[in-house]
Amino acid sequence: MIIEISHFLTIVATGLFFLVGCFAFIRSGDIFISKLISRTYSHGFLFLFSSFLIYVWLAVTDNFSVAYIANHSNTALPTFYKISSIWSAHEGSMFLWIIFLAAWGYLFNTKVDNKEVLKSKSIGIISFILVGFLSFLLLTSNPFETILPFAPSNGADINPVLQDPALAIHPPTLYLGYVGFVIPFACAIAFLIQGNSDIKWEELARKWSVVAWIFLTIGITLGSWWAYYELGWGGYWFWDPVENVALMPWLAATAFLHSLSVSIKSSNLRIWTILLSISVFSLSLFGTFIVRSGIIDSVHSFANDPERGLYLLGFIGTIIIFSMFLFVLRFPIIKSVGNIKSFSKESFISINNIFFGSLVFSVMLGVTYPLIYEYLYDQKISVGAPFYNAIFIPIVVIACLFLFFSIDSKWQRTIKLPFFGGATILSSLLATAATFLSTYLIVIKSVSIIVSLFAGFLLIFRYLIEISISLLKKKYLNPFSAVAHFSLGLLIISIAFNSILSTERAINIKINESEIYKDLNIYFQDIRVVNNSNHDAIKASFIIEDMNSNSYVLSPEKRKYFTRGQITTETAIHVTLLRDIYLTIGDQLDDGSWIVNIQINYLIRWIWISAILMSFAGLMLIFSKKRS
Amino acid sequence: MNLMLRFLVLAFPIAFIGMFYVLLSTEDTYPGADYKVFEIPEFSLPALDNSSYIDNSSLEGDFIINVWASWCITCRVEHPYLSKLSREGIKIIGLNYKDERNDAANWINKFGDPYDLIIHDIKGSLALDMGVTGAPETFLVKNGIVVAHYQGEVNQLIWNKVFQPIIDSKKINLK
Repeated sequence: MIIEISHFLTIVATGLFFLVGCFAFIRSGDIFISKLISRTYSHGFLFLFSSFLIYVWLAVTDNFSVAYIANHSNTALPTFYKISSIWSAHEGSMFLWIIFLAAWGYLFNTKVDNKEVLKSKSIGIISFILVGFLSFLLLTSNPFETILPFAPSNGADINPVLQDPALAIHPPTLYLGYVGFVIPFACAIAFLIQGNSDIKWEELARKWSVVAWIFLTIGITLGSWWAYYELGWGGYWFWDPVENVALMPWLAATAFLHSLSVSIKSSNLRIWTILLSISVFSLSLFGTFIVRSGIIDSVHSFANDPERGLYLLGFIGTIIIFSMFLFVLRFPIIKSVGNIKSFSKESFISINNIFFGSLVFSVMLGVTYPLIYEYLYDQKISVGAPFYNAIFIPIVVIACLFLFFSIDSKWQRTIKLPFFGGATILSSLLATAATFLSTYLIVIKSVSIIVSLFAGFLLIFRYLIEISISLLKKKYLNPFSAVAHFSLGLLIISIAFNSILSTERAINIKINESEIYKDLNIYFQDIRVVNNSNHDAIKASFIIEDMNSNSYVLSPEKRKYFTRGQITTETAIHVTLLRDIYLTIGDQLDDGSWIVNIQINYLIRWIWISAILMSFAGLMLIFSKKRS
Repeated sequence: MNLMLRFLVLAFPIAFIGMFYVLLSTEDTYPGADYKVFEIPEFSLPALDNSSYIDNSSLEGDFIINVWASWCITCRVEHPYLSKLSREGIKIIGLNYKDERNDAANWINKFGDPYDLIIHDIKGSLALDMGVTGAPETFLVKNGIVVAHYQGEVNQLIWNKVFQPIIDSKKINLK
């Protein structure tokens, strides 16, 4: 009965959202209607959210008459994982995705005043999108389906690789980022429908976009970290199609935030800003489609059926084509009035848009090309790191150089030539010295790495100098830009050093033997079987000793989970700020020795630290008072 | 903006979506399906009720083999559909996979028996030879030759899209 109540509440919410959508486009400018829309939306959200809470309660209390819960949860799980099992597969994660979408709309609804011209239409657009996704949920992937009359006495367990705190929060964070861009999208579309170029939709959308961007950044970082230590992939980025579909909205969103800052100041670059706001949300939807249609094979793909894919494609296609049509129709009113001065901040940002656009396009090509190729020639090919490196390194390096020179530029003014101030020269010299030094010390032969290091150092030194000047002389410096771009420099050099320094090797080793790898002495102490509540494990212990005679024990494991019979590898990592020592064990050979994979990953922590620092810059922006 | 550019701005997303439509509607979007043709390997295993041994000679004609186990929740979800096939007169051979005899027998008693015969493969040896990786999996067999294999839950959709075309084209008589 309680299941039916939850199911029913979702259906009622769908109906209410449909009404909100219809109201919003019947009449505008009437404060009574605006209030009605706002209230109805809140009620719809209330119903939907209660339904979700009931669903969480069903999962916590092990109600296995719900087919989805029976398939993905188990009485032996801790409560935390019973809840996270809700988003461990397609139906439940789609449900959560929709809840987040509705919640963003709800926050927007409560924070924005009813007198705001674009509010009702924005809420209406969000509601129509909700109706589309709720129908998708209810018609093709219903999480409320029951196994009746005989419910199983126990469930099938959550996939063991998902039983991990990082993973329990990675999807929600990423979804919050993905769907958060519904706000700028809805505002932009509402603006286009309204068709009055005097309305400043950009101001309305600004903070929401930054918050969504923060979530997206953190979500991607968490995913990268999880794949590193839990999946045992041993790296931070693999150009896996699903990583790529999260990267595309991130790139587009980053360009969008830059473009938005121009449009808020001077109504320039509006075409870019609107196009980017549509792109970001479309790319987020595209990501959802790719993951859930089963069109690609990946660690992330859900068990799927193509009917779902077709429904999603149809709905997402409608959204994209409708918004592009509107964009083309309203083109005359969004044309920039003034000209952009060359070498002004605006000009640099529009160049930046082109760089980011090319990156998004290349990633899209990398994701879709194998699909097209397989369709045409019936052969599987994979597009991997070499392709992306060849594209990303030159574009990012050139973008960094432009960024470096843009620091001196002013809004709406040409910078006076020569613009080579003391800071420019000093930081170039420091960066050149640092690059030479590292090339000489580490013996770097790859040109692309040297160039990347130079670009990274250039940004780091330049911003360090700028930050010190602004602190000493109390000169104004945009703190968000400084922190975010400094982290970009940090990210680039961490990646460059990581790729040149990190090494790995598989060794065969017997118990009580030692092996030397680089500066490490690895001693295989023992291996034993450990029994746990839901899995058996083989646990090895290694004593690692480095040059400075620091020694520590690393215990990688191999686990076999009872309920699903799945075998997972648990890595053992020794973490320092400089490098990670990363061990996994493989199979035992006939002579009794074990295959052990050892990796030394330099500066890998700094890659995540710089990403977190970037999102921190966004956080500062949110909590800063608006400058007059 | 001139007309050409407007047209291009619109044409790009439409072409893109069209491309995905074509990719999605091609048949091999059922990832669990494969159509490798092979003979059922030689085997001799007890029946689930332990009454007799079953070998290749016990399996005559055209039928489907369904791999299941009492520990498999998806099999529980699939069960009503198999019962429906069974009521339609389709011959289903059960391959009980890595399961205790008592657990399996209880499961059948509780939910019903859609199978004409159940092979008890406690070690998973026959399943291994047939390329089974888990449960549930289903094979379509014509005169001792496997012609289609599906990994995952069989339901009306999978039946129509994965099995029915082969049944029609190879004139397989499951009844």
